[in-house]
Parts: sequence; structure tokens; C-alpha cells
Amino acid sequence: MSDERDAAARPPALELRSVVKRFPLRSLAAYGKAVHAMDDVSFVLEAGGSLALVGESGSGKTTTASVIARLYERDSGDLVVDGEPARPFRNRAESLAYKKKVQLIFQDPFGSLNPTHTIRSILERPFLIHGLADGRADLEARLSEALEQVGLSPAAEYLRRFPHELSGGQRQRVNIARTFAVEPSIVLADEPTSMLDVSIRMGVMNMMLDLKERKGVSYLYITHDLAGARYMCGSIAVMYAGMIMEIGPTEDVIRDAVHPYVKLLKSASPSPESGLARAPLDASGEIPSLIDPPSGCRFHPRCPYAEPRCREAVPELADLGGGRGVRCVLALR
Amino acid sequence: MSDTMLEVRNLRAGYATAKGFVRAVDDVSFSLRRGEFLGIAGESGCGKSTLAYAIMRLLRDNARVESGGLLFKGRDLVPMPAAEVDALRWTDMAMVFQSAMNALNPVLSIGEQLTDAVHAHRSVSRDEAEAMAVEMLALVDINADRLRSYPHQLSGGMKQRVMIAMALILKPELLIMDEPTTALDVVVQRSIIEKIEELRRRLGFSVIFITHDLSLLVEISDSLGIMYAGRLVEYGPAAALFNEPRHPYTEGLMNSFPSLTGPLRRMDGIEGRTPDLLSPPPGCRYAPRCRYARPACSEGGCPGLAPSGEGRLSACPYPMGGRADGGVAGEGGRL
Repeated sequence: MSDERDAAARPPALELRSVVKRFPLRSLAAYGKAVHAMDDVSFVLEAGGSLALVGESGSGKTTTASVIARLYERDSGDLVVDGEPARPFRNRAESLAYKKKVQLIFQDPFGSLNPTHTIRSILERPFLIHGLADGRADLEARLSEALEQVGLSPAAEYLRRFPHELSGGQRQRVNIARTFAVEPSIVLADEPTSMLDVSIRMGVMNMMLDLKERKGVSYLYITHDLAGARYMCGSIAVMYAGMIMEIGPTEDVIRDAVHPYVKLLKSASPSPESGLARAPLDASGEIPSLIDPPSGCRFHPRCPYAEPRCREAVPELADLGGGRGVRCVLALR
Repeated sequence: MSDTMLEVRNLRAGYATAKGFVRAVDDVSFSLRRGEFLGIAGESGCGKSTLAYAIMRLLRDNARVESGGLLFKGRDLVPMPAAEVDALRWTDMAMVFQSAMNALNPVLSIGEQLTDAVHAHRSVSRDEAEAMAVEMLALVDINADRLRSYPHQLSGGMKQRVMIAMALILKPELLIMDEPTTALDVVVQRSIIEKIEELRRRLGFSVIFITHDLSLLVEISDSLGIMYAGRLVEYGPAAALFNEPRHPYTEGLMNSFPSLTGPLRRMDGIEGRTPDLLSPPPGCRYAPRCRYARPACSEGGCPGLAPSGEGRLSACPYPMGGRADGGVAGEGGRL
């Protein structure tokens, strides 16, 4: 969005157009019903850019990452990666090539490393699977480099260890090293710091920012923390109940949010600077069931500004200019 | 007569483990006024939950209070016979637990669980107990028809509000909350905090609110205590601590929460990791991670809390004012 010549030269890293993902319910009682996890999700992640996907639990942000990583296939809509529309994989090579390009960092640093393997065997796998090392010596050098660039040195010391011998922060660094080992162009980071102790979160976030600069990758950063999203990303998309409610440059969206849900999220987020005299929340309630989502705007049952028409039709994501989009009838005034 | 609700005096408590005794709370002292909201912040393993359990006399079998006093309305809880503690617990001091979402019994209705708490401590009729339960549920904005509901029929936020209703049903004077909103979404967290504040104004109880989320505590607390590796390292009015931290660890923690509305700047968090309490480092326990540490910091005993002016206490013997390099202006990248 920033530099148009640049954007013209390189296609966006990622583009989603009206992507829908539903999970059918298997039980007899709920026959024919589905969880509407992602509905009409569209956004563009510029090459080398960073987009934060912010939402509460159940908003569909992790489903979005999984659909992009193609852990599940979308039901409808277009997914375009580096200018190429995603098609069903015809063979393992295509699937591998996609996974090399698009990598995921998971939330849980404890559950995402096999406890029976050493760090060496965990970190070797991406190099072996994708055939990235040229002989034993090259593999050794790459392993060391992978660990050192995430601040784990001396590498030899860490390669010998098992995951339980590392702290949570160190484990997450190993995960990040593994992610970057295959030289991806898009990194999907799903709450990478939310399970870490607070004092070490910034270290991991800064390291991710530095790696992004050095490697020129694009980030889709998933978080429930608006302040963390602001720290990490130039653009932000706020999801609610499976839909994007507002999207745009982070500073603009946080400074002057248009959608009532984004305003609510902002007023609920801890913010010591503004907190001592903060106004009480003007809406309550929780995210609705995604099995029978509310008609019309999914936020209308909680929205203090809801009008009759909000119940009737789902508002379009209206273009406000300046890269901003809002899914609310209020934005159309 | 006294304005002091709770006084913790040089409390030492810990756990016997296979590898030795872990002193999770080491020489902690503070006092809590009637109606005060005290926030205690620290990372996992800093001893904040052990402190809460010690005050409630709910430490597990392998844990014990080694020394020190816990004066609740002037009476020391540490040597108190279990029967007397039972009489105080829930009626005078109550707790909302960290895993409150799972602390409800799945096979009993909400109403049964609320009235159980009443019957255990008061001799009242079933109708009276139920009336109390309805009143408390109304205070936390839950409809009386939810009395017949079971926990699995409630959302996480509602379960947490039921736990708060249960803790307050006998109108205790002290409410201890151990990470009560950690598992909840921010909007739900905020509505629960607003509810606690409203109830505190109405009912006048004191609160000890324990969490790792310092940015939240700064907003909601009157006073703030910062714990690190079993020690209370700083204590004082919340706004003062936020505006001018006097212990390097407090400053480091403040630097661990990106700002939502303030200027965007690079923040560094804290290098390294919390020490192993089985063999804490010599001298100040924070010295190995402290950006201002001097050789003398890693010698001798661990410095205790000392007055640092304006009613504040800090365990760092060196004033922060002299550390002009405290700026964290960053370079590189977007920040």
C-alpha cells in the first residue's frame, strides 16, 4: 500500500478473495449444520509487508492461517500466493514447494517440538525434507546458522539438548529457527509469544522483526493483543465471528477505529496511558455461536448502534480509501 | 477499629521437593488497608500464587510457611488452628482461583454450588440460601434462571462471574484473585474487572489481584507490588510505579508491554530468564539480568525492601535517577 511502484513490480505475497471455510458438524443432532469459521475473508498482504490478524478466541484467525497454510482447503474463494492462484496439489512435490514457501509458527512452544527428539534431529528435518543441505558439512553449518540467528549460541550446545531442557522462550526460538530454515517467503505466526513469560516476549518479538528485515519475508501475525499487533505490523485486520470487520494501516485503525467492535476491542485492551480515566465499556456479551451465526452483521446483537437493517443483510467490506475497509453500515454515512 | 485488613510480615514459604526446599516466597512484607485494591505482578514462578495460597492457608501438603506472620484483622493466621481458619475462610476472606473456569463442579448446578458455600458456613434455610444466590448472581449480571444451569452450559466469562459471585456470597472483607481473567478474552476480561470494581465500591471489600499482566494492573490497582524470584522488589502507589519505576525489574517489566496509544518505540523486555529458586544467585536475584548491575550487586545477601521516599519501597539500593541511560530508543526496522 505504501509504494505503488514496488507493488507493481512484485505481486502481493498473499491475496485472499472472499474465502469461506465451514466445518460440517458430524453429530446426528446437528445434521446439515456447520461451524462458519471463515466467511467472505479478503485481504492483501504486500510482499515484504506485515499484516496483523487480530481477534478474540473463536474469531476465525487461526482457521485463516490454517487455510493459508493449506492444512485444510478452503470451501470457496481465491487464495493467491506470490501471484499464483492456489490449486489442488497434484503431487507431493507441489505440496512440498508450497510448504517451503508458506511456513507456520505455532502458539505452543511446548507442544510443537517432539519431546523424544533432540534439537538437532528436530532442526535437521526441514533441511532433509526439502533437500536444502549439500552434504554433512553444509548441514552442520546451516544448523549452526539457523540457531545462531535466533540468538541460541553456541549452537552445538543447543543441538545436543532435548526440548524439556530448554525454557519456553528458547523452545519458541527453536520453532522460529525451524520456520526460517526453509527460507520461506511468507511466515504465518499464530500467537507466537502468548505462551511465553512476559519479560521474554519482547525479545522474541524483536528477533522476529529483525529476521523479517534481514530475510525480506512477509508476515501474517495472529494475535489477540491489539498493542502487540501495533508493535509488530504495518497493517491490521480485525476479525469477529469469522469475518473481517475492519482493515487498514495499523496506526489509522487503532487511532480512529470506525467499526463499533474495533472500538470496543480498543477500549477493553489494557492501556496504562489512557486507562486511569477510561470510559466504561459500551457493549458486553461474547462472541456468538458460529454454528448459527446471527443474521446480518454478526456483531449486531452486541452493537450499541445497531439499526433494524443490521439484522437483515451482511454489510459489505466498504472501501474507505487510504487502504482502509470497514464492514459496517455506519461507515457508509 | 484498625484500618489495616491484612499485614504480611517477613513471610517465608516454600515447597519441599525431591531436589530440596524451594523457597517460593522469601521475606515478603506488605500491608493492605480496608477497601484497598492491591495488585501483585510477577512472572511465572515468582511466588505470587504461593503468597495467595499462604494467606488463604491453602498451601498443599508439601508446602509450608517457614516463618513470618499473616495478620488478618490483627489475628495471625499462621499459627491459627485449622478450625478457626475454616471459620474465617469464605466468610471473611475468599479467593477466586486461577483455573476458575474448571473450578466449578461439572455435575452440580450453579445454584447447588452457590448454596453449598452458604450452607457450609451459615445455618440458613434452603430458601434463604437460594435468595442469597439469586442476589449474588444478579450482582454479576447473571439471570436467576441460570441457577438450574450446569457449568458446561455457560461461557467462560459467565463461569468466571459465577466464581466471583460464589466468592462474594458471604460478603467477605478480603477477596484474593489469582489470575482471574487470564484465560478470558479482553472484552470479557474488561467487563469482569469493571464488575469487580463496581462491587468493591458497593460492598467495600479489599482486593489482592494477582497477575502477570502489569499493564492491566497499573490501570486497576491502588497499590502495586512487584515480585521477582520470591521477593517483593518494589511496592507503592500504582500510578507512581508506572510513571517512575524505582527498581530495574519494574522498569524491565514496563518495557515488556508494547503501548497501544503512546509513542511507538522499540522495547527490549528483559534479557535472560528467571533464576532457579533451588539455588538462587548470590546478592540481588535480579542482578544477572539487570542492565544496571554493578559487581557489588552480586555479592552478599539479597537486598530487602527499603523506603525510597514518597511512601514507596524499593529493593534496589541504587536510585534510578542516576541511570540516565534508561532510554530505550531503538533503531532498525519499523521501530
